[in-house]
Amino acid sequence: MSLWLFGLLMSLATTTLLAIESGIDQGGAELGGVDQFDRTIAPLLAKHCLGCHSGDQPQGELDLSSRARAIRGGESGAALVPGDLKHSLLWDKIESGEMPPEKDIPEPERDLLRRWIESGAAWGSDPIDPFRYSSDARAGNDWWSLQPIKRPPIPNQPTAATAIDAFVQQRLQNAGLPPSPSATPREIIRRISFDLLGLPPEPSAVTEFQIQYERDRESAITDLVERMLASKHYGERWARHWLDVARFGESQGYERDHLRNDSWHYRDWVIDAFNRDMPYDQFVRLQLAGDVIDDQAPQTITATGFLVAGPWDAVGQSLASPVMKAVVRQDEMEDYVGTIGQAFLGLTINCARCHDHKFDPITQEEYYRVAAALAGVHHGSRQVSSAENRRRVKELADQIREQQDAVAALDATVRDQLIARRSDSEIDLPPRIAPIARWEFRDDLNDTIGGVPATAHAPARIADGRLILDSGGGIARTESLDIDLREKTLEAWVKLDNLQQTGGAAMSIHGDDGRTFDAIVYAERESQQWMAGSDLFKRTQSFSAPAETQADQQFVHVAITWAADGSITGYRNGEPYGVAYQAESPLHFEAGTWYVMFGLRCQPAGPERQLSGLLETAQLYDRALSPDQVKASYVQEQLSLTHDQIIAAMTSAQLAQRESLLASIEHLQSERQRHRPYTVYAVKPKPPEPTHLLARGNPGQPIRAVAPGGIAAVTGVKADFAVGQDANDADRRGALADWIANDQNPLLSRVIVNRIWHHHFGSGLVNTPNDFGFSGGHPSHPELLDYLAAELVDNGFRLKHIHRLIVTSETYLQSSRPREDGLAIDGDNRLLWRKSPQRLDAETLRDTILAVSGELNRQFGGPPYRDFTTFVSNSQFYEMVDIDSPDVYRRTLYRTWIRSGRNHMLDVFDCPDPSTTAPKRSVTTTPLQALTLMNNSFVLRMADRFASRVQWESDDQITEPPGAVLERIYRLAYGRSPADDERATATEFIESHGLSAYCRVILNSNEFIYVD
Amino acid sequence: MSTEPSRRDILRFSAQGIGAIALGELLVRDGVAQAGSVAPQATDPWPHHPAIAKRVIHIVLCGGLSQVDSFDYKPELEKRHGKSLSSDKKPDVFFGKVGLLRKSDWKFQQRGESGLWVSDLFPHLGRVADELTVIRSMVAETANHTPATFQQGTGFRLNGFPTVGSWLSFGMGCETDELPAYVVIPDARGVPAGGSINWSNGFLPARHQGVTVQSSGTPIQDIFPSQELNPQTEQASRDLLTRMNRRHLQQRGANDLLSARISSYELSRRMQRVVPEVTELAAETAATHTLYGTDAEPTASFGRSCLLARRMLERGVRYVQLFSGGAFGSPRINWDGHENMIQNHGREAARIDQPIAALLTDLRQRGMLDDTLVLFTSEFGRTPFTQSAADVVGPGRDHNEKGFSVWMAGAGLRPGMAYGQTDEIGWQSVENPVEWYDFHATLLHLLGMDHTRLTYYHNGIQRRLTNVHGKLIDGILA
Repeated sequence: MSLWLFGLLMSLATTTLLAIESGIDQGGAELGGVDQFDRTIAPLLAKHCLGCHSGDQPQGELDLSSRARAIRGGESGAALVPGDLKHSLLWDKIESGEMPPEKDIPEPERDLLRRWIESGAAWGSDPIDPFRYSSDARAGNDWWSLQPIKRPPIPNQPTAATAIDAFVQQRLQNAGLPPSPSATPREIIRRISFDLLGLPPEPSAVTEFQIQYERDRESAITDLVERMLASKHYGERWARHWLDVARFGESQGYERDHLRNDSWHYRDWVIDAFNRDMPYDQFVRLQLAGDVIDDQAPQTITATGFLVAGPWDAVGQSLASPVMKAVVRQDEMEDYVGTIGQAFLGLTINCARCHDHKFDPITQEEYYRVAAALAGVHHGSRQVSSAENRRRVKELADQIREQQDAVAALDATVRDQLIARRSDSEIDLPPRIAPIARWEFRDDLNDTIGGVPATAHAPARIADGRLILDSGGGIARTESLDIDLREKTLEAWVKLDNLQQTGGAAMSIHGDDGRTFDAIVYAERESQQWMAGSDLFKRTQSFSAPAETQADQQFVHVAITWAADGSITGYRNGEPYGVAYQAESPLHFEAGTWYVMFGLRCQPAGPERQLSGLLETAQLYDRALSPDQVKASYVQEQLSLTHDQIIAAMTSAQLAQRESLLASIEHLQSERQRHRPYTVYAVKPKPPEPTHLLARGNPGQPIRAVAPGGIAAVTGVKADFAVGQDANDADRRGALADWIANDQNPLLSRVIVNRIWHHHFGSGLVNTPNDFGFSGGHPSHPELLDYLAAELVDNGFRLKHIHRLIVTSETYLQSSRPREDGLAIDGDNRLLWRKSPQRLDAETLRDTILAVSGELNRQFGGPPYRDFTTFVSNSQFYEMVDIDSPDVYRRTLYRTWIRSGRNHMLDVFDCPDPSTTAPKRSVTTTPLQALTLMNNSFVLRMADRFASRVQWESDDQITEPPGAVLERIYRLAYGRSPADDERATATEFIESHGLSAYCRVILNSNEFIYVD
Repeated sequence: MSTEPSRRDILRFSAQGIGAIALGELLVRDGVAQAGSVAPQATDPWPHHPAIAKRVIHIVLCGGLSQVDSFDYKPELEKRHGKSLSSDKKPDVFFGKVGLLRKSDWKFQQRGESGLWVSDLFPHLGRVADELTVIRSMVAETANHTPATFQQGTGFRLNGFPTVGSWLSFGMGCETDELPAYVVIPDARGVPAGGSINWSNGFLPARHQGVTVQSSGTPIQDIFPSQELNPQTEQASRDLLTRMNRRHLQQRGANDLLSARISSYELSRRMQRVVPEVTELAAETAATHTLYGTDAEPTASFGRSCLLARRMLERGVRYVQLFSGGAFGSPRINWDGHENMIQNHGREAARIDQPIAALLTDLRQRGMLDDTLVLFTSEFGRTPFTQSAADVVGPGRDHNEKGFSVWMAGAGLRPGMAYGQTDEIGWQSVENPVEWYDFHATLLHLLGMDHTRLTYYHNGIQRRLTNVHGKLIDGILA
């Protein structure tokens, strides 16, 4: 290496040039060679110039990314004249400080550029690939984490018990630090128990372990670890870690923050995956594209809950403005891209939404390629059911239908007899068809057939057997109906407040998607006309009927039928209403995904969609009635026979038959309920819209369409997905999953083994678990990281294998006691000369308080508990409450993780905001924590329970020296016996202030909250 | 080896970034009797340049204050009342309904020596107009309440980012260790949409989250035991805890985290003494109560909040966030005047006008306005045309993110001025448009911080309050 260059390099300690190798002529006559240019000059041009002067629309039409174009120049003329500094506009602008704007190039770099031009401006890769090499300003394609995993040789460390210990001790040795001695058996069992299960060990387990440990340390530890890895609490503990990464929340966030009642299935899926030791690559694959792999199995669909676990702007989705809507969708895409990049790859791909990544080799176009792979992803509740259940439900539905028809037939017989008795003239009535739901609005809003409950929203109310719908926003809606609906008839007896009103509906079938509906609408497009309202008028045409002139004076009967062939027919007072017409085939409302509304045409509520009037009766049929059947319904209703009258007229045999039919229906219905499909909050795909590269991330400035793809800089896997711009969602996400969940993708395994390490040691080998790029940390033990990654891949991606390696290593089993030499040399303990003590995280703290107080409800999985009350008024509101009930004394993992209502106690102990992926938690110490643990009603109550528990469990009396009681407290809380001095202090305190007060102190103590 | 590290050790330890220990807390152990301060956690030490302002009261109007009815006087709008918007492009408004232009429902007057235009919506604020620095050319990125509110509070439209108050707590620490750095006083009628998201620490450590303080009832959650405890027991419990923790520490040698926990209990004890003092409004004179309107409706509730905010600042709190208005729903309890501007804005303004004017007067009298900033903002403004059918002058206005007014008052600002312009009908900003990034950058500047240097590493990025944007609004600086 030339001397001048060497000198220059030494002065560049803080600038770009890290590695300039030999091969440059003496005196710097030429600073050249492809490699040389790429390593030295290209990064400078990239850093200072190419941000504006390259790409599709270079500023001033000057493109400095290729030699020919640089020489040709832009609007102001030739920019680069090799060998001629004076005539190189490039240099002129740099020297005058005009370029780059608002920033100066440091003198040494400037000097290097000068010499380069003078020496003939030799070029390398053309056009410049700014990502080729890493520099001190950014990561290039050669960045460590992107390289293939090579299983490193295990260092020769004679004293090392395991491979992990060999890697760690090698570095310790270099630093002149010995490892620490083993922790005590008590410390070991507590440490492993908290780490693997998130719960303290039972006192008896501590004793047994200590005994076994004295006999045979190795087998004691191995047995313990195996027992814990087999415990279902293991999945609960590690699912919580993953849910942090997944930004798992159970409400929408943003303004409305509505609850997601069905997102907990994903949480259970994660727990189960950990417990079953699902291979990690499969774990990842299913979360990205489970529904693509199998769209029938509930579990695979549930897994995609990962993608949609974040917040979602419900208001933004329904914006009138397409421009604003596009921005909302782009923000949503960033959430997906950002989360998958960070969670699975440790790459902050989201930083390349508006420009190429500033620090990592990720182009802006690649951001949009990854986004394109996810372009079909949308939030939603998805119905799932196993094939067997689906078959059974259908079978049951048929049986129920049959028996309901039998009841209806029985009723019809009696009714006909009554009518015949009452009327002199013979009425020739066709058999009456039983509706699937009927609302009489007598005492409540419930349907008198299926019992589906409904709610009235003020000011809607029931009076005199009618539902009163005011213009002031009153509507009523039912719960979802568990019926599959294609053909249908809606029928209502309605009176209007006035005939001039427009756009309200007597009755509407509304989809859970918030968009689709079919309704009996009054005067929406044409004044004084009844019509079949539908989303975007898709199934709406005029019946061209005479104007409504009576409905403000008296109740009128209005019915509309939607037949399988798409024909839609209206009826008024039992007679055909205007002209039937042909529309598209009727919508399919899947069971459990729709409900009935009265008063409101469609969501969201608004005066222009609101009916003002009264409803007397309403009926719904799952078939299109014939004209005769409608007439029969009208006439019979006119005859006004109540249900009670019919029942009263039955013979005892008929009544018995009816009872038995009803009992059988109920039985079948409850069986159907058990087999019924349920919804899970998961990816609800839609056909992907085209994805464009957007100038500065602005949806208003598309540059060109892009096809799905990955990040080229990741080695081992092909970034080209060979999937077209118009591919369907399944192909896109399938390809993305293949690219990420691929054993050749070096980031997949590196990132996850680091997360596991992080949770065992409190700090990862890379201490930025979501970022393996330039801004993240460098691994403290690169070979160890690769060793673990290789172990994972070679052992079928089984995470429990990695846990075993870690927790049985002497590194992990070291004492946590500080040492002067360690503190002096490596205060952060990056080298692992001891095990760093850990504070219990928020959930573990609460779980542990519950456990020692004897109140922990170990119910596994299922719907979450609620520590709040809630109500909806447009937005959903949550008020935190402290409930004293076993239902909420479950592990904290099972809390309903709403975004706007955070739990104060968990919050002060650093529980993260579930709106963004949280790879590690901060560990803070604040007076608010002290106040919470001292004063919070939950903690005080648990102190009481703890006290009663130990009293009850010990035969001893508290008035005596509290020997057994105290022993029990210490064993439960600390896993040890009290020392003599502790015993003395405690006895004195308990005598004066009671056992509860003492237990409160225990729950606040450092020994309780810190694990050695 | 000593069991407790020296302060120097702690500093070293902290500088290396392990855990977050409030250094001020540790001073307590060193025997410093009076209130300590809490050092900032940001690595780039504050101040970056001399701080003109030291503390902030931020009054947040939820729902969208109409600029054309308050601070942005438009004679042309008055002339064109009842006319249609003569624009080629159909405005892209939130609810998609563009009615006719509507003049202000309140008369505008020039006020004070400065001659600043303030409408009769805010007669009391009109009397202190010479204190105000109005920005009439604000522009937001969205007309959707919550993303716009997030952007006002955090610089980002998304959930999950730290609010201004959290950034200040992180970047400046606190002048007292007896009260939280960042205090939130919600509207007595209810919390804003999104609840605690509006004072979230985002990805910053949890201790920078806003602490809600109620102006009546128990001021801070869990400040006192939820059940009555005998004072002797309370004291004995704390003594026993300290004793047990010290014994535990002794066995474990130097451990900063364990000692910090011991100190945090001592500090919590002091908070228990200070919080009731500071929230005891009865300590104020009758004249002060009358000034703030705490003794009359409809000002009583917000008057108490303003008074409490001032008392908090006096005791060293860094940032008080005061909400005017709660969430969206029916009946309206915020400024979202879609249906009827006269009713809605009239009612909301009457609640806060006198208290805020009183706050400015009071801060001025006490000399506090010399190093305090008062901010008065809303997530966006409202349209000069009404939200109604195209041929109607309706009673309500829709959201308008294209141009709206906010004001600041206090340290380092040019008082009694209006900055920037909207077009002649008060719809779109046309002169010196100001984005939230600029507003935040300027706020940090006045507080002694360079907005590009207040950063926190999170998932790949050194995050800033101002993202990658932000320029100082030079025109309003003194």
